[in-house]
Amino acid sequence: MKILDIIKDANANLLRNKLRSFLTILAIFIGSFSIISTSAIQAGVNNFIDSQVDSYGGEGYLAVVSKDSFDALEGLQGAMGSGNKEPIEYNPDKIQTGMSPITEEQIEKLKKIEGIDGDSMVEQKTLSITYVTSEKTDKKYLISAEALPPGNVNVDVVAGDQLDLRADEYQIQLEQKYVDALGYTNENIVGEKIQLVVLDEYTHVEKTFDAKVVGVIAPGVVSMGQQYTNNKLADDIYDENTKYYPDEVKNQTFAVAVNFDFEKYSADDIKEKLEDIGLSGMTVEDIIGTIKTFFDVILTVFKIFGFIALLAAAIGIINTLFMSVQERTREIGLDKALGMSSHHVFMSFSLEAISLGFWGSVFGITVSMILGNLVNAAFHAEGGFLEAFPTFNLATYTIPDIISVTILIMIIAFLAGTLPARRASHKNPIDALRYE
Amino acid sequence: MSKRPLLSVRDLHKAYGKRDAKFEALRGISLDIYEGESVAIIGKSGSGKSTLMHLLALLDKPTEGTIKLSGKDTSKLRQRKLNELRNKEFGFVFQSFFMNSNDTVLNNVILPLKIAGIGYRERRRRAMEALKVVELDDKAKNKANDLSGGQKQRVCIARAIVNNPKIVFADEPTGNLDSATGERIEKLLFGLNEKKGITLIIVTHDQDLADKCNRQIHIADGKIFEESIREDFDGDGDNDGMRDQNNIHHIDIEEED
Repeated sequence: MKILDIIKDANANLLRNKLRSFLTILAIFIGSFSIISTSAIQAGVNNFIDSQVDSYGGEGYLAVVSKDSFDALEGLQGAMGSGNKEPIEYNPDKIQTGMSPITEEQIEKLKKIEGIDGDSMVEQKTLSITYVTSEKTDKKYLISAEALPPGNVNVDVVAGDQLDLRADEYQIQLEQKYVDALGYTNENIVGEKIQLVVLDEYTHVEKTFDAKVVGVIAPGVVSMGQQYTNNKLADDIYDENTKYYPDEVKNQTFAVAVNFDFEKYSADDIKEKLEDIGLSGMTVEDIIGTIKTFFDVILTVFKIFGFIALLAAAIGIINTLFMSVQERTREIGLDKALGMSSHHVFMSFSLEAISLGFWGSVFGITVSMILGNLVNAAFHAEGGFLEAFPTFNLATYTIPDIISVTILIMIIAFLAGTLPARRASHKNPIDALRYE
Repeated sequence: MSKRPLLSVRDLHKAYGKRDAKFEALRGISLDIYEGESVAIIGKSGSGKSTLMHLLALLDKPTEGTIKLSGKDTSKLRQRKLNELRNKEFGFVFQSFFMNSNDTVLNNVILPLKIAGIGYRERRRRAMEALKVVELDDKAKNKANDLSGGQKQRVCIARAIVNNPKIVFADEPTGNLDSATGERIEKLLFGLNEKKGITLIIVTHDQDLADKCNRQIHIADGKIFEESIREDFDGDGDNDGMRDQNNIHHIDIEEED
């Protein structure tokens, strides 16, 4: 017998008892719907977090402060009552409030740590910009900007491109709200120059930096409220900010960002080595990791529910096929009398089970995709939950997810079908023909 | 007759159950059936006639004894080969039809060809041919359920001959039909026997039907107690079914590896 004929017959047999097949498919549908939906949400959240991680500095990014500063930050948090920590005792040997600088010596040691790319080190300078304006508007706006962190940084942009960090001109990436305020659109601002103005607090003379806009930053959770500049713009603004400072102060470093080789070294290894020289490091994961963990836990719970639903559906398949075997006993007898092998009888019932699984998962995935896209659209609409995050699709359906869920359900259906299929294939043709 | 028998059975025993519950349905049956014959296996219910037919049709295996098909011992054949033999060389007609009543007449006739794995066009063509033989080609698209009893049995005959079998086994083929319809079915079966040389093995308790066969084998209590050959058979060498001996091909039951 040809395999195509067996597949056709299996589907024709499902249509013979439409209601029963439909109900079985419905049970599978519930399982497949919940599994594909949670996979889609997981993919959506992970995509978003990954793009955030990328725009903040990527996997190899490490923000480094002195250990004292880190403790002070923790102490401050404790004192402010955020976090459930006990109040921290005062220790006269430590600087426990405010930031303490990283010493030259520490920086030299840091650069030599195995796994850390010393050349990538960038001092994190707080830039003080008085206001921003453009030729297209009379208004002046407050703005906060910093040099882009080192490494394979890939800022999530809705228009334009990435910064050229080593460019000799002034470059900036702006958030969307500034694009509108400065009288431009996402389409026409790229390549234009805007004016960043720094006021000399002593002489009250304004110094203007003409910065070329190279890209418009997509809103996100990590970089909220931050504009990015290339190194030249950051350095020049910092020099302007600190021109009256004594050299010791000017050259003080409070925070640096470095890249480490995340493929060879774990973040924990590097962090331990930093501790040894009195520094503290934080990866992007540390900064936003809790959000991800939270989503992962919820989604895992939903996935477990999905599998429980599938298990129930598998029992439904067994039940449906047992009834089908019972009803078709004489037919099986005839098929076998006319020369059909036990192997083919087994195959035809197995294919019926697989078909149930296939249609259940196809319906589950289709409905989930339709709903997912509606939800995405609704969240991105004006006033929607995700209006501020146009690049964040809550439900993201990937081809590997769709294929693996379908195959997984077909395998479960096949396994469920083996029991009734075995019973059918073992029927003796004479007994089966005598069956009333 | 010097010819090799098509089916040759020696000392056939068949028992069901074990020990105390043991029931011997057949107790030593030996017989030869030649190509082109029409043989009636006649007996009362419980005599073992159906069991004998099941063994002859290779639907079941004997407890003891040998069944040779074209001289080959069938007990040495693998299940796959047995399935293939039943599919290609045998046709079956049952008392209660056994049709897929929700399917079309054509699809019912196609079934053995589908099992054989024959392509769509070819099997349709051959099924239509078989339906023409039983004069039901105009009902090909009808649902099997919508046919009368006689028509259903004709469809079953079409299904039995669609593979051009050497032997047709008919188990009480007229049992569920009124006498007029039954007669038509009989004519059809004996016509196939005479015109196409198909060997006919009919299981029945109906003496009138058995009388129309070349040979009658009476079974009682699992044994043959009487065998009779009709006078006009084999007498003048003019029997239609035996006429064209050169054209009768022998069943090939060589094991393929």
